Amino acid sequence: MRTTLAILAPAMILGLIFASFVSITVERSEQQRAQTRVEQLLATVERTAQIACYLKDGKLAEEIAHGLMSNRAVAGVTITAGTVMLSHVDNPSLQGPERHRVVIARRIYSPFDSHEWVGSISLTVDHATIHAEAASYSRASTLAMGLEITLVVIVVALAVYFFSTRPIKAVSNELHRIRFDTGARLRVPARNRSDEIGTLVSDVNALIASLADALTTERELRMAHEVGERKLRLIFEKAESGLFVLDDCGILESWNPAFIRLLRLSSTELPQAGVTSLQQLLPPHAADLGQLIRQCLSTGQAYDVDLELRTSATPHPAWIEMALNPIGPTALQGVVNDITERKVEELSAKKLASLATQDTLTGLLNRRGLDMGLSAAFSVHTAPELALLQIDLDYFKEVNDAQGHEGGDQVLRHIARILERNARRGDLIARPGGDEFVIALVGIADSLKAEQIANTIIAEIQQPIDLGAVSVQVGASIGIAFAMPGDSPQAVLIRADSAMYSAKRAGRGRVCLVKAPAPAEAGAAA
Amino acid sequence: MTSVMSSSKWTRIVLQILLALTTLPPARAVTAQTLVVIVNPAIGVQHLSRREVLDIFLGRYRTFPSGASALPIDLDVNSPERTLFYVLLAHKEPTDMGSYWARLTFSGKISPPFAVPDARMAIDIVANNPNAIAYVDRSAVDQRVRIALEITP
Repeated sequence: MRTTLAILAPAMILGLIFASFVSITVERSEQQRAQTRVEQLLATVERTAQIACYLKDGKLAEEIAHGLMSNRAVAGVTITAGTVMLSHVDNPSLQGPERHRVVIARRIYSPFDSHEWVGSISLTVDHATIHAEAASYSRASTLAMGLEITLVVIVVALAVYFFSTRPIKAVSNELHRIRFDTGARLRVPARNRSDEIGTLVSDVNALIASLADALTTERELRMAHEVGERKLRLIFEKAESGLFVLDDCGILESWNPAFIRLLRLSSTELPQAGVTSLQQLLPPHAADLGQLIRQCLSTGQAYDVDLELRTSATPHPAWIEMALNPIGPTALQGVVNDITERKVEELSAKKLASLATQDTLTGLLNRRGLDMGLSAAFSVHTAPELALLQIDLDYFKEVNDAQGHEGGDQVLRHIARILERNARRGDLIARPGGDEFVIALVGIADSLKAEQIANTIIAEIQQPIDLGAVSVQVGASIGIAFAMPGDSPQAVLIRADSAMYSAKRAGRGRVCLVKAPAPAEAGAAA
Repeated sequence: MTSVMSSSKWTRIVLQILLALTTLPPARAVTAQTLVVIVNPAIGVQHLSRREVLDIFLGRYRTFPSGASALPIDLDVNSPERTLFYVLLAHKEPTDMGSYWARLTFSGKISPPFAVPDARMAIDIVANNPNAIAYVDRSAVDQRVRIALEITP
């Protein structure tokens, strides 16, 4: 419809322009032709007029005049020979205004002597008639042209309709009804098999085919995806490990049944997706978990942590291992596994290990523990800054004899607490055996400081010890030795031991010190 | 001697010219003729102009300048004199003259002059009719008619 209009409108406009142009041109040329015709008319009758004038033949002149009057534009004819009027004819039917009349006059010469003037002929031409005739002719040709344009437009419109609009409409209708997945194709209109519409339909068919292919592929993919998803869902639901997804604030988005089971959550504590946070589920670890989530997201790395669960539901402490993996800028995926069994084993192993290095009576290190501690200190630094205090109790044998082993053990535990009080964190405190104690003051090379600590210990030990029924008193002798370059733990122990004996010999209850040699002297001594 | 020689020489040249003339087409032979317009002496016309003669023969006037009616006599359509007459006076070929008269035959009141087969008959008519006027070769003229105009090329 639009195409037809697009053809019709310009054709009509152009037609009108052409028609008016033709109308004007035709009218003008018609006027000129009329003028020429009159001139030609005169030329035709000239020879006869010459004879008529030459002979003053009124009859012949009359004939000429009537002949000329047959032209409708001629309003009148006058033929004269000298003073004689040979013929005068007027057309009474032409009543046009005088101003439209033009007189064309010609001199007539003798037919036998072109210099002898024998008469004249004058024609009155009515221009109104010429005008009217030209206008009517122009109207006729304009009409003919308009008719032709109209016919052409109709033919073109019909052609467009039959060869273009109708097949396109048919194809369009078919396209509306077609279902792509059935493998259906458009029919090429029989008459358009080899033109642009035919090509278009083939192209559309190719498009439909590829679309159908794409649809099939997508359906298969979707099915495969669904199967995969179901598989994953099954794995998720049935997994032994607790699986969950978190956002950057720790809010839980999803989890599997194992997660609930592993966290030992009762039916009243069940989380709510999008509301409950991991921190809320594990209040004792809330701060640590918040820290872990931030760390995980900021570094983009996976982290895992062992957490102890203390809940009313579990009489024994349970342990879980939680691993967090960042899966996006604001999302984390977590895995929870029960490691209670492993933790219990670890703890008992640790207990065993500590039994081997610990003095069961005082809880201090035993000889083995002391050796291991010193070895560790000497393995880090070849010449660690270290003051070794060898402490030996005075009068303990007496207390032990008087109060029995029970009393002796109590005294030993008391002494151990005194030593623990005066030592600093990181120092080694040991009871290698009997009433013999060792403190390794790590990081102390200053003899004054070591001596001060030793004196404080002696003073505290000398205070009476309340054993319930009785109060007892013991003393202590302390030998101090410092680690030196190239030293072994054993060498320092021997030096401290001999310093302690020096203190004993010097009268007990005092400190004896093997001074650390100046670096130069140390070099000379080595 | 020399005069005899010269006269015989001239005779030979004239003979040659005459020979040459006899081989020429008749129309050319006509141009050598002199036409004269003849009238009856009784009409009292001494001389006529070419225009006056032509107007009478073409029907413009059927009178002599004196007022006496004039009766033009044409020669036969195919005669060389007639052709020469109209060519010299009206500058018209016989076909033109034919169409002139044809035009007048249907509409005009004027008819062409009466035509006679030969010059002798024309002279006889002029000799016997005071109003007659004709044209003939000068050589044919006799004492009975008067020459009113000599038509030279």
